[in-house]
Amino acid sequence: MRADLDFIAEREDFKLRCAASYSEGVHLVSGIIGSGKSTMALVMASLLQCQGSYSTKGVQRTILSMQFPEYHITSSSLDDEVRSWGLDPRDVLPRAGMEGRGAIDPFKLSRGQLKRLNLACVFALDPDILLLDEPFSSLDCMVKSRVCKAIESRQDKITMVFSHERSVLPRVDSISHIADGELRYHGNTPDAVMQWSSPPPYLRKALERGARPKNIALQDSMEALCAIRD
Amino acid sequence: MIRVRGMRHHLIDIERLDVEGNRVALIGPNGAGKTTLLEVLAGMDRIREGSATVLGKSPHEVKVGWVGEFPDRTMLFSRVCDEVASSLRFTKVEQTEADRIVLEAMAMLGRPDLLKRYTRSLSGGEKALVAFAAAIVNSPDILILDEVDSHLDEATVKMIADAVQRSGIPTLFCTQDMDRAATADHVIFLRDGKVEFSGPPAEVFGQLQDGCFYPSLWRLSQ
Repeated sequence: MRADLDFIAEREDFKLRCAASYSEGVHLVSGIIGSGKSTMALVMASLLQCQGSYSTKGVQRTILSMQFPEYHITSSSLDDEVRSWGLDPRDVLPRAGMEGRGAIDPFKLSRGQLKRLNLACVFALDPDILLLDEPFSSLDCMVKSRVCKAIESRQDKITMVFSHERSVLPRVDSISHIADGELRYHGNTPDAVMQWSSPPPYLRKALERGARPKNIALQDSMEALCAIRD
Repeated sequence: MIRVRGMRHHLIDIERLDVEGNRVALIGPNGAGKTTLLEVLAGMDRIREGSATVLGKSPHEVKVGWVGEFPDRTMLFSRVCDEVASSLRFTKVEQTEADRIVLEAMAMLGRPDLLKRYTRSLSGGEKALVAFAAAIVNSPDILILDEVDSHLDEATVKMIADAVQRSGIPTLFCTQDMDRAATADHVIFLRDGKVEFSGPPAEVFGQLQDGCFYPSLWRLSQ
């Protein structure tokens, strides 16, 4: 299973160039606001046309989870919202921590709760390519940790994480960064950790102290620091 | 900055809360009631029981710069320049002066280029940045920010924090970034509508060492 990107995407006067290939595993794409992370996700979801090519091999289904979960809402109750994804609310609502709340209006939920509901749906569908646009925004640290585990468990599928998260990150197989309208592929972990141009503060601090974390989760930085202390 | 007595409002149940400081962080799990409390303190909702004051006044008497957790929902205008200028125009600030203030605010935030854009074309983070600019231009008495940083990258968050610090405007902000909360003068930890901890960061996070509500940079230093 793989996704091959070699395209230029344009939105108004913004232009993004992407050239990379992603196979099974978890792939982080970082970048500042407005850098083009969502644009890349939209092309991979076939929701935005591009010049050049975007092709996949062995992929039956791709699903995009958008940054703002309210954009996904199509129904007036949580039960119907889950059914709109072709899923059974009895299975999904407990996973979102909303058991017994099926009758309420999705817009009564906070954005963090809406995000939990959306992520529970997209993970339940287990698509070949899962595009997660800022999956951690609005979530508390306990839910972020659970989302990290769900992401890491998809090793036989392609999971793209588009994020500028600073506190809780999953272990990933590759790191890419978008800057100045271009996707820069830093390669696979652990080597890519050293190449990454925008690590979160805890990882930056660990690197500054001479540690060499194997991956980008906080635990990796803590273990690497322990190793140089010993 | 904040004084609450006997507040019972939706799931909020706070007997007593006294907060001093210029930068106050509100933290807690999703669904703890953080947004509900912020809306009351911003004067957007009247409490059913009890009392609350902000800067010594009723929340309705305070000029609040508000950025909510759904910044795109509160946008009124199609052009960014009109959106940022909205509060100035509603209060009849002269056009040339309004334009000057708007340009100065966006320059301070490092993104004057956004002024020529349409709001619908903005990325999620850019919408949050524009909402912040719109909140700050009319010199509010206090800024109340509901998880604005969750849509922003580290550099932009720092730029906003620096801009707020320079302005000296008191700020109450809700965040899921504990490293950022640790930089506040005072931290309130809310769970199930109740204030579980309230005090200086060292005191509050000292109670939260065993869970994930602990600054990652502090964890790294242990």
